[in-house]
Amino acid sequence: MRTIWAVAFATCLAIFLVCFTTPAQAQQKRREGLTLSEKVQQLTEMSAKRSILRFNGHKFKDFVRSTPRNYSMIVMFTALASQRQCVICRHAHDEFVIVANSFRYSQHHSNKMFFAMVDFDEGPDVFTSLNMNTAPVFMHFPAKGKPKHSDTMDIQRVGFAAESIAKWITERTDISIRVFRPPNYSGTVAVAMLFAFVAGFLYLKRNNLDFLYNKTLWAFAAIVFTLAMTSGQMWNHIRGPPFVHKTQSGGVAYIHGSSQGQLVLETYIIIILNAAILLGMILVTEAASQKGDVRKRRILAIVGMAIFTVFFSLVLSIFRNKAHGYPYSFLFK
Amino acid sequence: MVQHGFYNFLNWFDERAWYPLGRIVGGTVYPGLMLTSGAIHHVLHSLNIPVHIRDICVFLAPVFSGLTAISTYFLTKELWSPGAGLFAASFIAIVPGYISRSVAGSYDNEGIAIFALQMTYFLWVKAVKTGSVFWASMTALSYFYMVSAWGGYVFIINLIPLHVFALLLMGRYSARVYTAYSTFFILGLLFSMQIPFVGFQPVRTSEHMASAGVFVLLNAIGAIKYIQALISKSDLKALFLTVAAGAAGAVFLGVVGLTYLGVIAPWSGRFYSLWDTGYAKIHIPIIASVSEHQPTTWFSFFFDLHILVGTFPVGLWYCIKSINDERVFVVLYALSAVYFAGVMVRLMLTLTPVVCILAGIAFSRLFELYLKDEDPKTPIDEADSEGDDAAEAIAGRKLYDKAGKMRRMRHEQPSEPTSLGANIRMVSIVATVMMLMMFAVHCTWVTSNAYSSPSIVLASYGNDGSRQILDDFREAYYWLSQNTADDARVMSWWDYGYQIAGMANRTTLVDNNTWNNSHIALVGKAMSSNESAAYEVMKALDVDYVLVIFGGVIGYSGDDINKFLWMVRIAEGEHPKDIRESDFFTERGEFRVDEEGTPTLLNCLMYKLSYYRFGELKLDYRSPAGLDRTRQAVIGNKNFELTYLEEAYTTEHWLVRIYKCVKSNLNVVWRPVYFIIALFCRVKKENEFNRPRIPVANRVIKGNRLFVSKKVRILSYTNEQEFLNAFYL
Repeated sequence: MRTIWAVAFATCLAIFLVCFTTPAQAQQKRREGLTLSEKVQQLTEMSAKRSILRFNGHKFKDFVRSTPRNYSMIVMFTALASQRQCVICRHAHDEFVIVANSFRYSQHHSNKMFFAMVDFDEGPDVFTSLNMNTAPVFMHFPAKGKPKHSDTMDIQRVGFAAESIAKWITERTDISIRVFRPPNYSGTVAVAMLFAFVAGFLYLKRNNLDFLYNKTLWAFAAIVFTLAMTSGQMWNHIRGPPFVHKTQSGGVAYIHGSSQGQLVLETYIIIILNAAILLGMILVTEAASQKGDVRKRRILAIVGMAIFTVFFSLVLSIFRNKAHGYPYSFLFK
Repeated sequence: MVQHGFYNFLNWFDERAWYPLGRIVGGTVYPGLMLTSGAIHHVLHSLNIPVHIRDICVFLAPVFSGLTAISTYFLTKELWSPGAGLFAASFIAIVPGYISRSVAGSYDNEGIAIFALQMTYFLWVKAVKTGSVFWASMTALSYFYMVSAWGGYVFIINLIPLHVFALLLMGRYSARVYTAYSTFFILGLLFSMQIPFVGFQPVRTSEHMASAGVFVLLNAIGAIKYIQALISKSDLKALFLTVAAGAAGAVFLGVVGLTYLGVIAPWSGRFYSLWDTGYAKIHIPIIASVSEHQPTTWFSFFFDLHILVGTFPVGLWYCIKSINDERVFVVLYALSAVYFAGVMVRLMLTLTPVVCILAGIAFSRLFELYLKDEDPKTPIDEADSEGDDAAEAIAGRKLYDKAGKMRRMRHEQPSEPTSLGANIRMVSIVATVMMLMMFAVHCTWVTSNAYSSPSIVLASYGNDGSRQILDDFREAYYWLSQNTADDARVMSWWDYGYQIAGMANRTTLVDNNTWNNSHIALVGKAMSSNESAAYEVMKALDVDYVLVIFGGVIGYSGDDINKFLWMVRIAEGEHPKDIRESDFFTERGEFRVDEEGTPTLLNCLMYKLSYYRFGELKLDYRSPAGLDRTRQAVIGNKNFELTYLEEAYTTEHWLVRIYKCVKSNLNVVWRPVYFIIALFCRVKKENEFNRPRIPVANRVIKGNRLFVSKKVRILSYTNEQEFLNAFYL
């Protein structure tokens, strides 16, 4: 995420510089005299064709800046051209399209609000006039008065998911939009593919289905699942913690300092440690239950026991570091 | 209930909770817990043992945890061996994950529910093994008890069909399974519908449909097997597949269709959030707000299970390796429970028993192999071998080999020695026992530190190790019960609803039984809007007193300001026009209570009630006035007066603050005048009851750095509360 922001920032800085070197040559002559009803009619016609209106410099002036208006405008300022390399703009655009389409097909659809976008390469003068040097920016232009500070959506904080855009719009305009995402078929397709794959595999191997009865395979799968769960992968999935932390002294922390959080890497470490404990215990048990070369089995038992104790103490010491004030440890502090 | 009898209990309408709605207790609780304690009371009294019902309630949980250990023993014995059963029983007796619900005085549904769960599973395994109608009926009875005790019965009614389904898939169909399941399903269905709170849910909700589907499937397969006995084998396979697939498809389509038509309710939010893990966060803040519904970190797994986390997959491994009908069950149980426990901290409770069972299997197998006499001895050389053992104990390693050699010479033993050697065995056993001792010590530590503190009495430790008792909650509730009118309505956040109702005996607006989201949202709205708007809500709800928990003086982190964002979120869910979460965040997206906090926050009712006159308070000589210890910030809005509320009581450590809602008939014009008069009067009233008993200046605030121990942070959180939040925060 950080890198994306950095890239976006760099891009936008570049845009900003470009703006200064070619100082608003776009002082184009402005068509005067569109009345309110004409504007609304034109906008309605345009928005019937596409849910997001693409504005260049003077269209922006006509429909957004000029005063007689009785409609709100939600405008996204962006830089979609590929040479700008603004990855985040494209994501933002997708989300914005979802919101605009949800509004277009909802029963609250009215001509009180329109969605528009200004691309930097089509209307750089808009960016200069609004004193804007980053993209993407979402702005709301209310029907009356100038946009206030809070009419710019704070994507740093709330993100630009379609739901948060819709929520922000509701806050600013009192028009509530129920976001309808076009169902994401990729998940379904993936599952279907997986099923097809498994079915095809079974069909190809139909003469030799013994592997389905292979208990080791099933046991292995079950244990992998269990280890993933007990190491808190579900927590990672829901909360999305960072992979590693930066400490104040500049180093990298693999283990989250407090007991309520965890880092992704930390959970992987825990998986490995738990798996080692498991392996050690199985080795010890197998060593005693098998028949075979005694020397080999003795080594197996010793190794298993060593793994078991050492890794258990490791887990315990990590636990002890996280739970401040926990008094017990084994082998390691 | 002991006084009024069973039927009055079922019809009891509690008008003192959820004011002004009231609540039909008989229809909205699982009665198992009350019924059990009532029954014990009745039996003891008929035996002329005079025991107060309260004592029964206190000791119910430990008694039932003992029963849980016994049923775990039987279940493990059925699954593996008596030795494993003993291990499992001793594990579950001490494991923190279960102790949290079974300490004396925790009068909770879960306490008896886990016993019912284990008992049902034991009887089910027994029924599958024997195929007798008797055991299956016992399973259904036990299931009935479970239904009456806890909402988690849904876990059973899905797990048992899953077991049957897995057995069918594995081609392990047998008449035993058929008998067991048919009996259990029919009886269990009828029994579960007898509970008023459950009612017709078993036939109307999606959660129960899996069991019906499996029942149909099982009958279809049973029919085919019967036909198989009659007609020739040749065309059977095609018929078999068609009928099986047809039955499954028909059931599936039927359920989907009925759900679509609205006959069957779709999955409830709580269950849905188990599958789609992002669901609750977006749609139902009340579920997401309860921290027991949060996902589980590995830390909590280790905290609750310790060594068992690493070792129970070993038991799983061996169960799969040598699988049979009933081990399929325990494998499925383990896999589903570990998934659920990963999604929700609270469901750790269902994972704990199976972890104990599997770890018991793993350890008992290890000890069985390492403790037994490896070399079979005939009676003839018993004396000899005794001598050997004695010698072994003295001289250690070399004698063992010698003994092996000697024996090989005497009998037809396997040509090479099969033993591992005494040393290795000794070392392994000692190491394992030491780790198990670590486990026992851990359990004791966790239990004494985290799970056994009186719920509403807090203790804190000063720098010198001395202990202070903070009895603010009881102080406040006692004040409420003595100084307010009997029918006074107290508004507080829902966490304290049961406590107010139980200890102060006053009417509450919302409580821990969170059945009505919009009512809670209304309280949240009152708390998060400004004073005049809140007054409108409070007038509408007829509130007399407002109670807030404030930890800024002692640094108690589980107070209302820290929970405040959830109130806002819940209120926003119902009243998006009036409450906006973003208004409570600063420009940089922070939640701050100092000067940089947003004006909305600094003027909302909760803020004002928490910090009223707090700005005058200097906690010690070095820190500025109005320093909030919990959030380490000087509050932003110091000098304000309350218009519609007046402070009624604040406890010794300011932990509980109670305000009286001024219900004057004066109109708006006169209210400021009244207010000014009240201001003047307050000087006089200083020593009356509406000020804290001890003047602020005389209050001893303990230590500069008050260390609130872990024990403190657990506040009697009953089933739905966020005790883990309090603990881990």
